[in-house]
Amino acid sequence: MRNTKTAQTGLLLRLYLRRDWLKIGLWWLGLVGLMAGAAAKFDGLYGSQQAMASIITTLKTPAMVSLLGPFTANKPYTVADVYAAEMMVFMGLFVAMMNIYFGVHSSRADEDSGVSELIRAHAVGQHASLWASLLELILINGLAGVLEALGLQAAGMTGSNAAGNWLFGLGLAAFGLMFGLFTLLVAQISDSSRGATMLSYLVLGVLFIARMGTDVQNPDYTWWTIYGWIEKLDIYGQNNWLPVIYMLALTAVVAVITFVLSSRRDLGAGLLPQRKGRQFASRWLQGPLSLIARLERISTIVWLVALFILGATYGSIFGTAGDLVKTNPAMAQLIGAAATKTANQTLVLQFANKLALIFVVLATIPGLITLLRLNRDDSKGYFEQLHAKAISRLRLYLSFSAFGLIGAIVAFALGIYGMDVAGAAAMGHNAIDLTRFMRAFWGFTPALIVTFGITACLVGFLPRWQNIAWLIPAYGFFSLYLGSMLDLPKWALRLTPYGWVNAVPVHTINWGTAGWMTALGIVLIGLGYLGYRRRDLLTN
Amino acid sequence: MTEAVVTINHLQKKFGKFQALKDVTLTVNAGEVFGFIGPNGAGKSTTIRTLLGILKKSGGEATIFGQDVWTDAVAIHKRLAYVPGDVYLWPNLSGGEVIDLFLKLNGQKHSPRTDELITKFKLDVTKKCRTYSKGNRQKVALIAAFSTAADLYIFDEPTSGLDPLMEEIFQQEVLALKDAGKSVLLSSHILSEVERMCDRIGIIRDGQIIETGSLADMRQLSRTQITVTTTQSAGALAALPAVHGFKQTDQHATFAVDSEALGEVMTALAPLGVKALQSTPPTLEDLFLRYYNQKEVGSNAQH
Repeated sequence: MRNTKTAQTGLLLRLYLRRDWLKIGLWWLGLVGLMAGAAAKFDGLYGSQQAMASIITTLKTPAMVSLLGPFTANKPYTVADVYAAEMMVFMGLFVAMMNIYFGVHSSRADEDSGVSELIRAHAVGQHASLWASLLELILINGLAGVLEALGLQAAGMTGSNAAGNWLFGLGLAAFGLMFGLFTLLVAQISDSSRGATMLSYLVLGVLFIARMGTDVQNPDYTWWTIYGWIEKLDIYGQNNWLPVIYMLALTAVVAVITFVLSSRRDLGAGLLPQRKGRQFASRWLQGPLSLIARLERISTIVWLVALFILGATYGSIFGTAGDLVKTNPAMAQLIGAAATKTANQTLVLQFANKLALIFVVLATIPGLITLLRLNRDDSKGYFEQLHAKAISRLRLYLSFSAFGLIGAIVAFALGIYGMDVAGAAAMGHNAIDLTRFMRAFWGFTPALIVTFGITACLVGFLPRWQNIAWLIPAYGFFSLYLGSMLDLPKWALRLTPYGWVNAVPVHTINWGTAGWMTALGIVLIGLGYLGYRRRDLLTN
Repeated sequence: MTEAVVTINHLQKKFGKFQALKDVTLTVNAGEVFGFIGPNGAGKSTTIRTLLGILKKSGGEATIFGQDVWTDAVAIHKRLAYVPGDVYLWPNLSGGEVIDLFLKLNGQKHSPRTDELITKFKLDVTKKCRTYSKGNRQKVALIAAFSTAADLYIFDEPTSGLDPLMEEIFQQEVLALKDAGKSVLLSSHILSEVERMCDRIGIIRDGQIIETGSLADMRQLSRTQITVTTTQSAGALAALPAVHGFKQTDQHATFAVDSEALGEVMTALAPLGVKALQSTPPTLEDLFLRYYNQKEVGSNAQH
């Protein structure tokens, strides 16, 4: 054997690709479809001078800068400039998520399931599986980048050029790979795939929020946020390759650290110390409800705190976001001081509508994770003995759905509350009442309940397909976050429950809609139980 | 003592088109240890999971304490303790937490008996479950089950990861349950374990119960291995219908005899001048091999 540390890397890589090809294909389809599809549409959307001028004004508002990054192109503006400004930061999120998924999937997840142990017992090098994971990520990102660039070439947007198209594709590839490596690094530190996923998203979240802050305050500082490198590519403008070099350099450094850490730890263990557990269960751990609370304790706290912080971060820019005098002085002068105050508040409320959507989708995630655990823990065998206890399926089902749903709703409320608290501080005497913001809470919560109900039905009736549920928040987020800019037709916006909600908090709550949606959600949750009650449980 | 605790009648279970249980009929009586044996994939765990209401039967009947295993699951489970073959525990809970939780879920408490079992099984309960080996996870489940006051104990290959010392403790505990008049359903591959503890056994193969009864009954149905040295040639015996796998070298002959025809063969053997005779009753292994391979047990003669 040539090099014993990396022996059989090629074989493992082929194995990984064989195992993951369908998932990789779907991610590629999603990424390229999104980019090329949007690119093909943009000429129609922003072809006219008027449409162009209006979108650029919108993109320059602090609210949009915080969501999508600054608009830095120079005149004369082209459709491609608008496209790059709208899509870059957003696509960065998507490729980062893809890399966190595959990074954990091909490293830590295999260790958890014991597959790595079997593999390592063969004539396979110590670093072979890590190398194979790394190569898989390079392949996934590299080819995704090429496909994206070709998609942009094919779309042939006005103002786009080959240099910009390739930089867009390959820049995203480098960006994705960088997050893939962050994930592999984190996978060495934490001791389970769940922990690795959570920690990776924490890194992504912190970097994203940092980027948001610097973009609104002073875009020059964005260089320090790592995430912001993707904006600095300046696609279709300067076409700057320097950030790509930064990304690849950081990727290489992280890769080296990852390999060093990997050789220092035991298979299946993390680098974080393993704490001793309790000798007895606390008095509090009594039944299924307290069990799920105990199991999800840390992640629930993390989600609640994270949503509050996210809300507060966005709220803190309300002062700038709602300042018409700064963002559109001509308009402010035109409508006068009194009207400006109202206009400012409307601006903030419109921004809050988008933010509420982000919060509600994020808050859905921990709720669904808890609900999906009903089947996941069954298929892992954790529940087998629980089922032999005097616990009815109804109690188990209710405990999990109640904990998941209430957790999600509280997380959402904290997001709104955080936004209100920081917003009030930032806006001073212009502050908007909490009750106005709470419209968003009452408006969107029913959508959360319906999403939860649909998921409950999947859990009950189609346990093996339950992960389809993730499409609802994912598509809901995409369609409403970018939908208005992509001018999606109404039906496409209404595919998920989030799209059934009116523009709260700008408008008042439509209690009729809220009422029937809540009822529908609760009926669906009940229906899910009927499915869960009458079928075989999953077994290990 | 013939009151039935578990009654299974023509139980069937289909997974899609695959019929995992075709016809399972057996009874576990109060106060007995019932051994449930069969090759891998025969349907032991499926039967047990159906008994626990985890799987829903496709046909037939199954009751525990006279109550339906599906509709009355909660009532049944209050009086039952179970240890699965593969124990998986939430990785972020400690062994001690899991044991206490399992007790509480049945409305019981951590007792001195629990502590005694923890000491006996030598388990460090302060460790997180993710660090436990298979054997240690098994211990967690066993400690929780043995310290539960129940009327029926179900063990599904409970000792597969235990070391011999722990296996011995397991057997002692099961025998103690038996002395206390509890009922036990024990699925196992360890034949010595079954032979030592079980009053009756049921053999399952391909989703069908092919034999139930006490070990003595089954021996009766099986063949006894005979090794005999005679002054005259014993060759004539080979022709008897009850004699199988006859082999002869000089004056030594070895063969298997259907247990019910033993007397007949002995009568035929007597005039041949028996110098030495050794008879070996079938071991459970022999029974096993005989029932597991549907083929004739001609191989018996090769011992």
